[in-house]
Amino acid sequence: MIDEQRLLWLLTRMRLIRRFEEAIVAIYPTDAMVTPVHLHIGQEAVPVGVCAHLRPADTLFFGHRSHGPALAKGLDPKKLMAELHGRTTGCARGYGGSMHLVDPPNGMLGSSAIVGGGIALGVGSALAAKLSGEDRVSVSYFGDAATNSGVFWESVNFAALRAVPVLFVCENNDLSNTMRQREHMFADITRAASLFMLALSANGTDVLDVHEKAGQALEHVRSGRPALIECKTRRWMKHQGVERDDLPFNVVDEARDCPIRRLESHLLERALVTRGEIDEITERVRQQVDEAIAFAMASPFPTEGDLIREV
Amino acid sequence: MVQDPRVFAIGLDVDDRFGVFGSMLGMTHPERLIGTPVSESAMMGVALGAALSGLRPLVVHLRVDFMLLAMDQLVNYVAKWRYMTQGQVKVPLTVRAVIGRGWGCGAQHSGTLPSIFAHVPGLKITMPSNPYQVKGLLLSAIADDYPVIQIEHRHLYNDACHVPKEMYTLPIGRGEVVRKGRELTAVTLSMGTVDTLKACERNELDVEVIDLRTVKPLDEDIILESVRKTGRLLVVDYDFPFAGVAAEVTTRVVEKAFGDLREAPQRITFPECSMPASGVLEKAFYPSPDTIAARIKALLSRAPQTSVEGGAHG
Repeated sequence: MIDEQRLLWLLTRMRLIRRFEEAIVAIYPTDAMVTPVHLHIGQEAVPVGVCAHLRPADTLFFGHRSHGPALAKGLDPKKLMAELHGRTTGCARGYGGSMHLVDPPNGMLGSSAIVGGGIALGVGSALAAKLSGEDRVSVSYFGDAATNSGVFWESVNFAALRAVPVLFVCENNDLSNTMRQREHMFADITRAASLFMLALSANGTDVLDVHEKAGQALEHVRSGRPALIECKTRRWMKHQGVERDDLPFNVVDEARDCPIRRLESHLLERALVTRGEIDEITERVRQQVDEAIAFAMASPFPTEGDLIREV
Repeated sequence: MVQDPRVFAIGLDVDDRFGVFGSMLGMTHPERLIGTPVSESAMMGVALGAALSGLRPLVVHLRVDFMLLAMDQLVNYVAKWRYMTQGQVKVPLTVRAVIGRGWGCGAQHSGTLPSIFAHVPGLKITMPSNPYQVKGLLLSAIADDYPVIQIEHRHLYNDACHVPKEMYTLPIGRGEVVRKGRELTAVTLSMGTVDTLKACERNELDVEVIDLRTVKPLDEDIILESVRKTGRLLVVDYDFPFAGVAAEVTTRVVEKAFGDLREAPQRITFPECSMPASGVLEKAFYPSPDTIAARIKALLSRAPQTSVEGGAHG
């Protein structure tokens, strides 16, 4: 059974991601953020359900759809907002943009936008933990499209051969940009991965199911062996940008698919929280995001003289 | 490995009985030699992940050509990581790759290719010309907190020279004048240094030979100082001609010492074709001390050179 504190944490983190991404939708048309964005609206349950089990020292490697995992792992929303606005107070000092986030104290050692490649880095970080005898795990976080790549299978194979403590998290929104999974991946991902390691499947729109399965998988990983979880979710927005997706086969039913609504109903039905407490969380998160925007807008830009630094 | 527990090696066959042409036999910590499946791309990514997490990996490729399978990781990740994160994480990753040659090994087992890696900001590249340099430069590379690629010529493994048992380093980014001379500056590296020195010694040529030892960062100063003295430049670069190290060296000399040049700079490179397998063609493909000497003599006899052809047949 999950305790109330954990339940509230799950809700708060999902609300933070949702509010943050909605703020981007509102600001983006002003061109205050000059960087491509790949939003997590509708998919919040996956990074949050997984990161609930991670410690700051556990490392997390994700791809271009970065805001969800980064905020779930603990990146300060101010630093993320400032990075999106190209300011020196951004987590990458304005040099990375949305697709290259970094936050070493929270186990985020840099991120890449080339689909699939970051997966190998998670395996390497886990290998380092094993070779040094450090008690920590790594997570390689990616979408269904990344399973098309050779480097994904190379990473799975190596992790299994060498028994490294890495969790592969496939956030499957059934889309590779505009291509459905059945058109880009021939086999069922969980089933194929199960030939190499423990492989579990979760309902990615239900944070409690993600939390449960991630917990099982991570217990396995902390004992020193790799695992994979595939969390099926839905992408509400277009692959990139701030418009709602309009692919005819990508039908979103918010009543059914919204992970936040689902958790809130669950909590209220069981009288685990009150309506008042939920509203408080929503308001607190709204303020937090507003402060992040104000911080970003007040922060300085880098200057031309900063160009050749840390090459 | 004895000194620093963070150092480990990873790559195809690093732990097998041949030991990468004998260079990795008798290691003190076999548990830190990780032999890998044929997965060059992921293995470079694994090494990067380990480097970001505090270890100091040495990635070994039996051939430079195989390294190309890891180009995405090397160019899009390893090279750019410091800049994208603005140094908030270190990337203490070293790569050793071997240039193959001979016995008909053919087009895919003979690449040199440093300029491909040098093209991308963020990578240092060393190319030793003898075993003493191999050790000194490699230890510098491993100690470096950012990525270094060391490209070693296969034939160097047969060379003998004094290599001290103790630890020593050679500075990355500094070339060496290995022969003093007055009439021509020959800038070269790796096998080119070995053959150029032989050419000069056998023919008593009054040529100053500069062994680059590092491709990037390039030791401009040592080159310019010599060219200002001799007024002539010949770059001997055992690689394809287009956009190679020879092109970069030549451009810098023209930009910065144009007034000191008596004649147009020249280069000796491979021809504009891949490495053939048949022995007769292989011999025609590669420069040699004889062809290098012939070219230098032609230059020094003040025969006018109106065109530069790639290849050993100058």
